[in-house]
Amino acid sequence: MSAPRTLFEKIWSDHVIVVSPQGEELLYVDFNLINEGQSFLAFDQLRMEKRQTRRPQQHLAVTDHYLPTVNRALGTAGMPNLEIRRVVEMLDENAKDFGLPHVGWYHHDQGIAHVIAPELGIAQPGMLVTCNDSHTATNGACGALAVPIGGGNQLRHVVATQTVWLKKPKTLRISIDGNLPEAVTAKDVILSIIGAVGVGGATGYAVEYGGSAIRAMSMEGRLTICNMSIEAGARIGIVGPDDTTYQFLVDRRYAPKGADWDNALAYWKTLPTDADARFDRELSFDAAALAPMVTWGTSPEDCSPVDGLVPDPSRIDDADRRRHVERALDYMRLKPATPLQQVSIDRVFIGSCTNSRIEDLRVAAQVLKGRRAAVPGMVSPGSSAVKRQAEAEGLDRIFADAGLEWRDSGCSMCNGSNGELVAPGERCASTTNRNFEGRQGRGALTHIMSPAMVAAAAVCGRLADVRQLSRQ
Amino acid sequence: MVPFTVLTAVAAPLEFPQIDTGMILPGRYMRRHRRPGHDYGEAFLYDLRFDEAGRPRTEFVLNYPAYRDAKILVTDRDFGCGSSREGAAFAVMDYGLRALVGPSFGEIFQVNCLQNGVLAIEIAEAVIHDLWRQLREDPGAEITIDLPKQLLTAADGTAHPFEISALRKDRLVRGIDDIDVTLSHRDAIESFEVKRRAAFPWLPTAWRE
Repeated sequence: MSAPRTLFEKIWSDHVIVVSPQGEELLYVDFNLINEGQSFLAFDQLRMEKRQTRRPQQHLAVTDHYLPTVNRALGTAGMPNLEIRRVVEMLDENAKDFGLPHVGWYHHDQGIAHVIAPELGIAQPGMLVTCNDSHTATNGACGALAVPIGGGNQLRHVVATQTVWLKKPKTLRISIDGNLPEAVTAKDVILSIIGAVGVGGATGYAVEYGGSAIRAMSMEGRLTICNMSIEAGARIGIVGPDDTTYQFLVDRRYAPKGADWDNALAYWKTLPTDADARFDRELSFDAAALAPMVTWGTSPEDCSPVDGLVPDPSRIDDADRRRHVERALDYMRLKPATPLQQVSIDRVFIGSCTNSRIEDLRVAAQVLKGRRAAVPGMVSPGSSAVKRQAEAEGLDRIFADAGLEWRDSGCSMCNGSNGELVAPGERCASTTNRNFEGRQGRGALTHIMSPAMVAAAAVCGRLADVRQLSRQ
Repeated sequence: MVPFTVLTAVAAPLEFPQIDTGMILPGRYMRRHRRPGHDYGEAFLYDLRFDEAGRPRTEFVLNYPAYRDAKILVTDRDFGCGSSREGAAFAVMDYGLRALVGPSFGEIFQVNCLQNGVLAIEIAEAVIHDLWRQLREDPGAEITIDLPKQLLTAADGTAHPFEISALRKDRLVRGIDDIDVTLSHRDAIESFEVKRRAAFPWLPTAWRE
């Protein structure tokens, strides 16, 4: 009998090609996703060095960051900002020149890389997946080891060699047990975790999420949880495969079929963490004690249950933390001890790789049904397939009737690289993943929360508790 | 990659926690092409260095004349957290910095720095606070970082050992690019790939349509 191992250790050791005595290992990359965000730096260099793609079929280029979510029918000609248009065109050219499969702006499957990789069945248990994006861990919800890489040097390395040098992280298990209370979603769970451990709290760790609340969670919820691992500092977040995973994967385009499926399933069932396996660190959370969350500051750890107050820096003992909170409140234009639900907002955004899947849109639509948004806002489904599904269910009508814009899919206002920005000084309730200074645009004031909470904020024109709204 | 051995240079204190890579390289600069060593320096911490009208914020530390030639930045907690944009490491380089010293870094950013020839090392928070104090009291003071010896010498002469992975240290000191090391393992990659494909024939492959 071999020693009990964690899910992470099983997948990691299956991919090691070279063990370096100096503490980093060369690992094989089963599949690599490429977005247009600065990947041109990698391709510029590859071109200069006359290097080629080692395994073109193990890559998928996805146009998501720079693509405007309006005027798609006009193609690149519909993109008024020439710099943005050029970035989109460069990925078209680079994918062509390097022989890479590409889901471009015109494609039936177009969407956010971390939404479409699970949706197409590309992210499978036991795989090592890389992408030049910090939210790559999203794919870990499918039981894959999904690792973010830099879009310059590191992407160049993966394209040319189909491998990546990595320092083996330590392991951290975060268990969430019990039943989630009413209106508490995956987003509230992960925000609560980040609030507790801090933005650097899981740096250097591969996180496995477990416990009965994760087991009971849909794939959409698990994708949201793994997505924000990096907001606690962890490059890797993963959930052990189970029946929910298998039911999600079966019949997806790139999922194994026929006898391959049976063999794959038998292999996948060997992957979950062994009963006696040891983690370097363990944390646990009581699901029943969690509440709908909102952020008030300029870091994802700056969050609170919605019935809380803006913190008062004068009551914070840690000098570094106090300095951060003072600066955050100054930037966010908030007064200490203000009840969070008195903070009025100027707009809302529903979308991003964190919360743009069909379940997210259903939850937001349920809150908005028969109601009007008090502020403007937009909804950007995570993929073209999610968009089609939502329209088949009539969700687009609910958003439009509430006064929100129904857009095409892309990263959009999460970071505004496609030009869709929150104006300086404007306050936005957003389903996205980051609220750092300037994230949604220079001087933009971001509050992140779940889709249901953004919908509630839209209706009330201020940060609001969705539980009170649904009782009205 | 330019080798990194011993550096003695002006160090600037940046007392500002959780500066994410989006502040280091604001998104609107990510569309720029880059010639190595050029082009991204202007973007480095742009919104902290300049106001909305593009005027230098005179109160911001990097705009003090004493720090004009700084090659070392003594950073705060979680410097470079957030987005994986490798351009953030390029912005650091193009601005003219060769080393970052701080209590903690975003991991993707730190790896991007080390793989591009920028030394990013952790030093205990109490020592960082002391370095800030010395640099505030004597603007323009120099710090020495000896990578082979893994020793940082502060302006007041006190020496502080630091940790770095043996592999990153070796590649930095010798200025070796990862890809050259990897290609020396070409045969191992080839045979690994053949075995893996045979054992897991269902692994996804995509096609250019």
